Amino acid sequence: MIFDINIQALININFCSILKLLFAMSFMMIYVSTKIFSITHAAVITLGAYFTYMISMQAHFPIWLAIPLAIVLATAVGIGTELGIYKPLRKLGATPLIMLIASLGLYVVLQNCISILWGDDTKSIRTWEVKVGNEFFGAYITDIQIIIIAVSLTLFVLCLLFLHYSKMGKQIQAVSSNEELANIFGINSDKVILWSFGIGSALGSIAGILVSLDTDMTPTMGFNLLLYGIVAMIIGGVGSYWGLVGGALLLATAQHLSAYYIDSKWMDAVAYIILILFLLWKPLGFSGRRLKKVEL
Amino acid sequence: MEYILHLLILISLYIILAQSLSLVAGFAGMISLAHAGFYGIGAYTTAILSLHFHLPFLVTLLIALLISGLLSLIVSAIALRTVEDYFIICTLGIQVIIFSLMNNWMSLTQGPLGLPGIPSISFFGLSLDNKLSFLLLCLFFVSLTFFFLKNLTTSSFGTILKALSEDEIFTQSLGKNVYKTKIITFTIGAMLASIPGVLYAHYISYIDPTSFTVDESIFILSIVIIGGMRNLWGSVFAAAFLLLLPEALRFIGLPNSIAANLRQIIYGIILVAMMFKYSKGFVVNAR
Repeated sequence: MIFDINIQALININFCSILKLLFAMSFMMIYVSTKIFSITHAAVITLGAYFTYMISMQAHFPIWLAIPLAIVLATAVGIGTELGIYKPLRKLGATPLIMLIASLGLYVVLQNCISILWGDDTKSIRTWEVKVGNEFFGAYITDIQIIIIAVSLTLFVLCLLFLHYSKMGKQIQAVSSNEELANIFGINSDKVILWSFGIGSALGSIAGILVSLDTDMTPTMGFNLLLYGIVAMIIGGVGSYWGLVGGALLLATAQHLSAYYIDSKWMDAVAYIILILFLLWKPLGFSGRRLKKVEL
Repeated sequence: MEYILHLLILISLYIILAQSLSLVAGFAGMISLAHAGFYGIGAYTTAILSLHFHLPFLVTLLIALLISGLLSLIVSAIALRTVEDYFIICTLGIQVIIFSLMNNWMSLTQGPLGLPGIPSISFFGLSLDNKLSFLLLCLFFVSLTFFFLKNLTTSSFGTILKALSEDEIFTQSLGKNVYKTKIITFTIGAMLASIPGVLYAHYISYIDPTSFTVDESIFILSIVIIGGMRNLWGSVFAAAFLLLLPEALRFIGLPNSIAANLRQIIYGIILVAMMFKYSKGFVVNAR
């Protein structure tokens, strides 16, 4: 079969990979500095969307006010989990495995709270009419999708600049590579971890809101989105921000090709098959950084 | 009375699920989120075989054991190249792949429509279609699993398991094949998990993929953790507690929809609280 290049497919692939990039980055922000596989992050992603729904649709505030407020609230939840659960556990000397199960329990709690508060049905924050997208070289892209792409790319660049040029960003990198050594150099790792939780949660909730603008929301939406982010992070190589770009692109391309040639319902399975193949043959991802989790 | 029997049957199915996961996650230290997947494989195997080929229960049970054993052998050989949190993510991936097979392989599983009309179990023309006799059959399998696991974990194999979950490299240095032992344990766990699947399919007589989701895996894992990881009796009590909890919530007058969510909230909170207890790792506390 000849690989026919289709502009629409290319746009879709780019759109999806940019979204996955945002999820992967928001997760990695937390993961590299704390070494916690925080599944609770999925609830923060969902909460971003639901807080926007609550403020704009239920309390009837304008959407331009609702979105920043929702980001603040969801970030507060993310920081709250760090202060209330992870930090005390860390002081008790918990291993990453214990942290992961605690975050899983916390995710179950938060997700069910969302279900009780807002119900299990699909909610929408779209007040505008759905219209045909803009034509672009014979393919279509909606205004919302253009906004999502612009916002995500801006956030990615801002994050990179923050990590490389600001004092706190450098401290986050220091704690990521060696927490003990960073402490010796007078860096307060608790404060740094709190910052990375704050930034990661803010990014995650923004990503959740962006997705809900495009495809509405359900209480469990965050879980799959987060797992795509995690897969993109692992195949891109943990700790490398440019690896994330490659991971997200590869994941989105593979998913779209499978949807194009087989069926779109296999997209979930394809993501995990890629993950498992990578863990088998290239466990360190694109970037090839040393990682102790995959050995033998 | 009928309803109490129904609850007891469900509890005994979950006891088998939890105890088999206790072998994998507790004794061997491999926290797996793919258990509901193997549970589902048992259910789907028996459903398809008895619907299309009219095979008797014992034959479908054997084939279900074989299929889930074979699959878990392949899957664990891949997943066990990773450890700790990567292993959990890997098993999560396996769970999602199994679920999407059940949900999307329309020609075999009828996807979200599910498979209706699975016949009830019969032995030599004697049909077990009332709840009491089915409960007795379930209890037979519970005691069989319990007996098997009790013996396995107190045998020399069980000692190797405890050793490798505490210090893998040290166990390897004693000349034990850690990788192989882990694969064997995972496979036994997955095979045992397919037994309640087989029973469930015949009992409910209708299965669809929503009974075998990631949430179900998390639920089984919570039973094991709340039961105390390496405690087979603990799994029994924890399964009874978590399955009777929504009934208790309904009893105090909560509506059905909230009771289901509240149950999950409660076991989520217990899970987090247990992690504070186990913060030094599961192993230290088990000694």
